[in-house]
Amino acid sequence: MPKLTIDGKAIEVPAGTTIIQAADKLGIDIPRYCYHPALPVAGNCRICMVEIEKQPKLQIACYTPVANGMVVHTNSPKTLEARKSVLEFLLVNHPVDCPVCDQSGECKLQDYYMEHGQYNSRLADVKVKKEKKAFSIGPTVMLDQERCILCTRCVRFADNITKTYEFGVFDRGDHSQLDVVSGKQLDNNYSGNVVDICPVGALTDKDFRFKCRVWYLSQAKSVCPGCSMGCNITVEWDKSRPHTHKKARVMRLKPRLNPNVNDYWMCDVGRYDYHFIDENRILSPQYKDELVSWPQAIETIAQTIKLLKDSNRMDKIGVLASAKLTNEDLFVIRKLFKESLNVSQVDFRVPEPPGHSDDFLIKADKNPNTAGAQAILQQSSADAQQIIQKARQGDMDLLYVFGHDLVKLFGKDTVEQISKKVKLFVFQGSNVNDTCGYAHLILPSAVYAEKDGTFTNCKERVQRIWPAFAPLGESKGDWEILSLLAGKLGISFNYKKSEETFKELTQKIGAFSEMTYEKMADQGMALKK
Amino acid sequence: MKELLPQMDKITSRYEHKRAALLPVLHLVQEKEGLISPESEKEIAEYLGIPVVHVHEVVSFYHLFWQKPKGKCHFSVCQTTSCALLGGEEIIEHIQKRLGIKPGGTTPDGKFSLDVVECLGACEIAPMMQCNKEYVGFLNKKKIDELIEQNL
Amino acid sequence: MQKIVTRHFNQPDSHRLDFYLKDKGYEGARKALTQMTPAQVIDEIKKSNLRGLGGAGFATGMKWSFIPKDNPKPKYLVVNADEGEPGTFKDKYILEQDPHALLEGIIVTCYAIGSHKAYVYIRGEYLKSIERLQGAIDEAYKQGFLGKGIMGTSFDLDVVVHQGAGAYICGEETALLESLEGKKGFPRLKPPFPAVVGLFGCPTVINNVETLACVPPILVNGSEWFAKLGCEKNGGNRIFCVSGHVREPGIYELPAGTTLREIIYEHAGGIREGHQLKAVIPGGISAAVLTANEIDVKMDFDSLKAIGSMAGSGGIIVMDETTCLVWAAMVAARFFAHESCGQCSPCREGSGWVYRNVKRIYDGEGHPLDLQNLPGIVGNIGGNTICAFGDAVTMAVGSYVQKFRSEFESHIKEKKCDLTLNYAKTNH
Repeated sequence: MPKLTIDGKAIEVPAGTTIIQAADKLGIDIPRYCYHPALPVAGNCRICMVEIEKQPKLQIACYTPVANGMVVHTNSPKTLEARKSVLEFLLVNHPVDCPVCDQSGECKLQDYYMEHGQYNSRLADVKVKKEKKAFSIGPTVMLDQERCILCTRCVRFADNITKTYEFGVFDRGDHSQLDVVSGKQLDNNYSGNVVDICPVGALTDKDFRFKCRVWYLSQAKSVCPGCSMGCNITVEWDKSRPHTHKKARVMRLKPRLNPNVNDYWMCDVGRYDYHFIDENRILSPQYKDELVSWPQAIETIAQTIKLLKDSNRMDKIGVLASAKLTNEDLFVIRKLFKESLNVSQVDFRVPEPPGHSDDFLIKADKNPNTAGAQAILQQSSADAQQIIQKARQGDMDLLYVFGHDLVKLFGKDTVEQISKKVKLFVFQGSNVNDTCGYAHLILPSAVYAEKDGTFTNCKERVQRIWPAFAPLGESKGDWEILSLLAGKLGISFNYKKSEETFKELTQKIGAFSEMTYEKMADQGMALKK
Repeated sequence: MKELLPQMDKITSRYEHKRAALLPVLHLVQEKEGLISPESEKEIAEYLGIPVVHVHEVVSFYHLFWQKPKGKCHFSVCQTTSCALLGGEEIIEHIQKRLGIKPGGTTPDGKFSLDVVECLGACEIAPMMQCNKEYVGFLNKKKIDELIEQNL
Repeated sequence: MQKIVTRHFNQPDSHRLDFYLKDKGYEGARKALTQMTPAQVIDEIKKSNLRGLGGAGFATGMKWSFIPKDNPKPKYLVVNADEGEPGTFKDKYILEQDPHALLEGIIVTCYAIGSHKAYVYIRGEYLKSIERLQGAIDEAYKQGFLGKGIMGTSFDLDVVVHQGAGAYICGEETALLESLEGKKGFPRLKPPFPAVVGLFGCPTVINNVETLACVPPILVNGSEWFAKLGCEKNGGNRIFCVSGHVREPGIYELPAGTTLREIIYEHAGGIREGHQLKAVIPGGISAAVLTANEIDVKMDFDSLKAIGSMAGSGGIIVMDETTCLVWAAMVAARFFAHESCGQCSPCREGSGWVYRNVKRIYDGEGHPLDLQNLPGIVGNIGGNTICAFGDAVTMAVGSYVQKFRSEFESHIKEKKCDLTLNYAKTNH
């Protein structure tokens, strides 16, 4: 394998590796615009030029394969001069829109300009005007042709990743314009990704437009809960100015690189479905339409359970768990209901119609943790349909539902009946839905972005989610609520944090054995077969 | 465009890959229709099995493909060095004045249009232009006036 | 002096097959196909010192030898008839008046490199050339000089004429391939070079029209004869195109080592009446401009390179003292700005910027800082681009600033142009 030196650091890489790939492995960040690891090489921005000893001309690092004995300098005077010249050329026609541009603060033109000390312009000529500025090219993306540096990342994305061919570069010379072909819109299921890959503010997200300056954003690593694919994401939220955005915290979601799951991408449905984190939340426990305290709420359930325990009627308890819960939540459900209380009617398989799927990232199963629920809850003596049936017939004393909208799944009549016939109908969920109105006791739970835990995706990969912020209002994490209930029932779960729950899970369930949060890191680990 | 299919098939058969026939097919369509319309782009894209955006990229890149019709008498006047050295700029100005149009424009009656282009490979007859299909050289104001009269 | 590629010009019906056959027509091809191996043909061309006459001046025989013999893919010959270099108009004459010479050259070349398909990419405006060449091809097919088993041998060859569509950059060989494949004329990243990965990903040779027209005479008369006609490392004659402020603009076939002075004064009639030479572009607009003191240079590739310019396409543009060289720089810069394909940043933004900058100086709105900055800005384009277009911008436009700096200074200082081009004094 060829050995080379970049900026004095030696590395050995497989033949065919390009200089920029070798540099990335070494942690040397050669500036780049058109190069993207997931897209075919274009070599048109010219900013990644480097100096190779014994070669008279500078070469672009994104295209030049390494050779044994190659000595590369990424910051020699010659390289810096060439790089600065490219930066200067790119700003000849680029409008200095920074004060009104969303990309400000995460813009590669700004970043490289500052890094290379380009403070003074020697431009004394007019800039080329382009046709479309602040122009909508589809339901999710805005285009500004003047800001575009024609790196063609978006073109290569639409040609190679989604194969939807929306983008083209028209005309030629410095009148070249990026656009979608007339009559077409950028309207595929992955349109938001072009905003991620655009190095400048040419393609911007309508959803995020003028919403929040990026330097106010904090990040938390997470996993999209939209389907069983489990695309790795980053939840970005405004930490400094909660008085703006009508108290919403999350400003946007971004995909997070995971070569084993979603690579650099995520679908639009997942990307834009974050409003539920801040909107329409259940904020306080309620009993029969009145706000109650947590101790009161828990006491209500505990009493019902104690009665049933004493009269040996644990078969009158039905639990509808959910594949939207974390592994930790599900484990505690198992531990509390199945093992400690001997409730055998615990199921998560509600009759949901399968959703849209494709051959890329979108899965028909719109739950993030079906595989986890399967591995942890395993069999139930009665499936969800049967539990609901029993409840409807009055054959159930305690129905404990985790977040499901039963009205949607089983119809209003059924839920009305359940409300009348069941002694205690508990709804534990994060967002208001039609079922809440029929539940006797409502417990506010946290959403995924407020949880520390893990999901297991459709490929049986266990992936960690980190909490971005504390649960909203009085809501609590699902397993935390169940721990309180356990405590009231004289069963002590002494978990101080999710990691402890997870540790016990790995000890009890073979597929998870020997997993730790540390090993899983932020890229996940596969379940054992 | 259906009437052109036999000719398009003949053209395409000369190339190892269908897509390579794009330029000749565009020439053929423009010869008949005087321009390449968005509808033609779609039909050609379908015929060749390539995305419409690639057809439009090609049409917008090459100066000989027109998205708007030109006049019955189309002047492509050279402005590069050899022609410019021998009065090309004056010729261009004169045409603009006589016809009342700017480069890229067409007279309202559709009779004349003007494009200013780069070297046409006829510097030995400078200053020159391409008038429809013919190269016309050794231009002067008189010759321009004559040409315009002939084509009124 | 013996004329080679222009020997048939200016004679009635010189473009027809019966005319061509009268002067050893297709004998070179017949000799190659029936008496020589492909390797021998390549060797002969190598020995002739024939160099590419489109502009790059690459040794033709060596280019042919780069075609890999063990590659199973089909081989292609692509003829570059995109003649777009301002000041150049020679290939037009070969195509219109001696198309069979080109066809014969194509046959020999294809035989040498093992190709059975040749494309001739002719610039879209050359309608007469396209018509004449297609006519010659039709005649050749009828006569059995093209098609299956040509000239009674087992060698098959097809030739297709492909019309360009108005983009100078398609004269760059990899941009030409892209255009031939039905795409925008965006030059490709190199390596790989066309000899290994060319048209449709197959080994391809791209040659200029005039280069190929030289091939049959080499086969008929011998490589030594051709090599002797020129100078060391640059064999044969070439067609020089003279235009601008000369009395007799036109094409002149002369030995490669002829001096520029001889071409202008002894062949093209010298400067027009009552004027003096001021500057000359020796090899198409991409070549560095020469002052009147530099015209004793020999017009072969190596001699011109040695003085910092290039022989290029042989397009000689002559400027007399009525010419403002800031204006000439602006015209050149405008050409580059209009023809930049726009693929890579330095050329796309730089060519437009340089044009606007020089125009502003010409219009009398320049500032002393401009002259300080301009050489650096122009210099930043070349060497950093995907293709040689960027190098041309730097070399060409840069040469005006370098050699006629005083005119730039005066424009900036006086805020106007001292010279006006006197149109009334044209010869026509």
